[in-house]
Amino acid sequence: MIEVKDLWKSHGKTAILKGVSLTVNVGEVTALVGPSGGGKSTLLRCINGLENFDEGSVTVFEVTLHGRLGKTHPTKNLLLLRRKVGMVFQQFHLFPHLSALENVIAAPLHVLLQKREIAEEIGRTLLDRVGLKEKWNAKPAELSGGQQQRVAIARTLAVNPSAILFDEPTSALDPVMAKEVLAVFRDLAREGRTMIVVTHDMDLAREATIAHRMEAGTITRTGPPADVL
Amino acid sequence: MKALLAVGITMAFALPLAAQDKLFRWGTDPTGGAPFVYQDSAGKFIGFEVELAEYLAAKMNRRSIMVDGTWANLPAQLDKPADVEKGVDVIFNGYELRADLAKNYGVSRAYYAYRITLLSRKDNTSINDWNDLKGNSVGVLGGTVAHRHLMKHHQDADIQTNEDVANVIQLVNDKRMAATVQDSPAAVHFLKEFPELRIVGEPVKAGYYVIYCRKTDMELGRELDAAIRAGLTDGSFKRIYEKYGLWNADQEELTALLDQPWPPVMESDAVDWRRLMMDLVRAAGMTVLLAVTSFPLAMILGLLVAVGRVYGSWWLRTPLKLYVEIVRGTPLLLQLYALYYMVPVLSEELIPGSSAYFTPLVCGILGLAVNYSAYEAENYRAGLTAIPRGQMEAALALGMTPLTAIRRVIAPQAIRIVIPPVTNDFIALFKDTSVCSVILITELTRQYNTLYNFNRSLIVELVFLTAALYLLMSWPLGILAGWLERRFSTQAGGDR
Repeated sequence: MIEVKDLWKSHGKTAILKGVSLTVNVGEVTALVGPSGGGKSTLLRCINGLENFDEGSVTVFEVTLHGRLGKTHPTKNLLLLRRKVGMVFQQFHLFPHLSALENVIAAPLHVLLQKREIAEEIGRTLLDRVGLKEKWNAKPAELSGGQQQRVAIARTLAVNPSAILFDEPTSALDPVMAKEVLAVFRDLAREGRTMIVVTHDMDLAREATIAHRMEAGTITRTGPPADVL
Repeated sequence: MKALLAVGITMAFALPLAAQDKLFRWGTDPTGGAPFVYQDSAGKFIGFEVELAEYLAAKMNRRSIMVDGTWANLPAQLDKPADVEKGVDVIFNGYELRADLAKNYGVSRAYYAYRITLLSRKDNTSINDWNDLKGNSVGVLGGTVAHRHLMKHHQDADIQTNEDVANVIQLVNDKRMAATVQDSPAAVHFLKEFPELRIVGEPVKAGYYVIYCRKTDMELGRELDAAIRAGLTDGSFKRIYEKYGLWNADQEELTALLDQPWPPVMESDAVDWRRLMMDLVRAAGMTVLLAVTSFPLAMILGLLVAVGRVYGSWWLRTPLKLYVEIVRGTPLLLQLYALYYMVPVLSEELIPGSSAYFTPLVCGILGLAVNYSAYEAENYRAGLTAIPRGQMEAALALGMTPLTAIRRVIAPQAIRIVIPPVTNDFIALFKDTSVCSVILITELTRQYNTLYNFNRSLIVELVFLTAALYLLMSWPLGILAGWLERRFSTQAGGDR
């Protein structure tokens, strides 16, 4: 379960988040929608500790970050939190010097300290799951955007997080490639993954159990995706 | 036409004027030059050669002008015209009567008979004779007859050359060097200044100091000889030598020598090419040793500094930035001086009796490593900051610690960016090893200079041989760098 309580964040004098509270139950898919600059992405980045915040708290499966007036969270806390929650980025951020498979197994090898054979076996299974079994040895530069995003999803799944955050996963893709990613996303939703997705993509948002509309740093509407959109 | 006329008139007046105002421009090296030429506490140049020069100039009815240069390189000034900047009419600074110099330049009558003298500390009981030099460090002014004497008769000693006599004497006094060989005038002077030192064994009769001029400048040569003859016979030289405590029985012979043909026939040593090549190659080995030990250290140090500067908190970033600016903003030469000459003084001051110091080799390696670490740090910093922020975020989001992220994600990508500048720096460091010669390390450039001093006619051969050795060593580095670059760029692929 993810719980955000009264989260405040500002950049200098500009308030970005103004007391946002949010609960995501296990197995639920939550969509964050709304205009650009509304604070959706910032909220998402606060949830896995990539952003600091001023007040309030974020709890992800029993690991809590407290607002520290914009100061950095304790490293130990961050490491614990990130074992619980994975993140998929708009720009994929695959590691360009590594092949698709090496990207997927980087964290299992260096974070979970799995044996290479085991990590590779799991990695190949995950690549198969996102439909890229054949591309295991391709460098990111040799893959299309959609393929890269699917590798990025496999990379996140490889550490088996309890929850996954998606930050506009299809915004950088053309409609055809976005569909490929949507299919993977739908697959994960059916499996009962706890997920939060920030998106402008209606198809993606419709997969959610619940949607929140964010405007100017606050949640203005909450309800079934069809109503909020 | 008018202008031409004006020039003609000026010249017509200028010529006779110049004849009355003939110059005696004498080249000398005042660095650590007591008692020859040195500065008193008021900054005025004094020394027995200053007084000799004044005497000679007066006798020749010329105006005395002192021109400073480095001792080993001043003879080359005679190959240029006298009217250029720092041009000289003669070189006059304890230059020995030597076959190689006498072959190329005009030689005056001898003005002093010197001996080469072995100095050591009074409390050093292991050195009691010249033969005890074996295996001991002995400092000497590079390119002198004393240096040549050591190379010929005491090859088994650890001969260390320096440009500055005062440095070497200080090192012996501080027990960092076992002994030094000096010409008798310097020995006499420094024994007064350093009461802990003593003369060891019998000073070796070595030869005479003469003044060298251009072979073509016969008029000056004749005037010089006449002036020296006058000084030796009328007792003026004796008075000057006595003032500096330099008069002794050896000098009596100079007057007798005046009636001998001059310069005497000297046989020059045949060039031993095998030995010369061996000397150069051995020195090249030292250059390689300095480079391959100091650069990895510089890389490690630089990497730590760069990581600290890019990812550290402000309390780490500020001192690291200061480190880079200070190291980068001061010359390597000064840093080497500081390590070699200042550290012992500092350690003595902080912990009396500690007298901790580094050997020249350690100083050289350390100095180069520290100096280049600042440049490496900046290279790596540029590499690290060139990697898009998303890479770090993605790695952190996967649960990596910042250190793991740097090691597995950021550094492998940064390497490909920094290979060209780092290779560049390695090649630069390779050549900068020559600066280490100031702290008594005989590397390739220093060896070249020593050999040139003994074989002045071989300048072309020596320059090309030395350059070829440098190229032979740095060329493969360039090739290696190219290979690394290709390898890492194909491995890294493009970045989005």
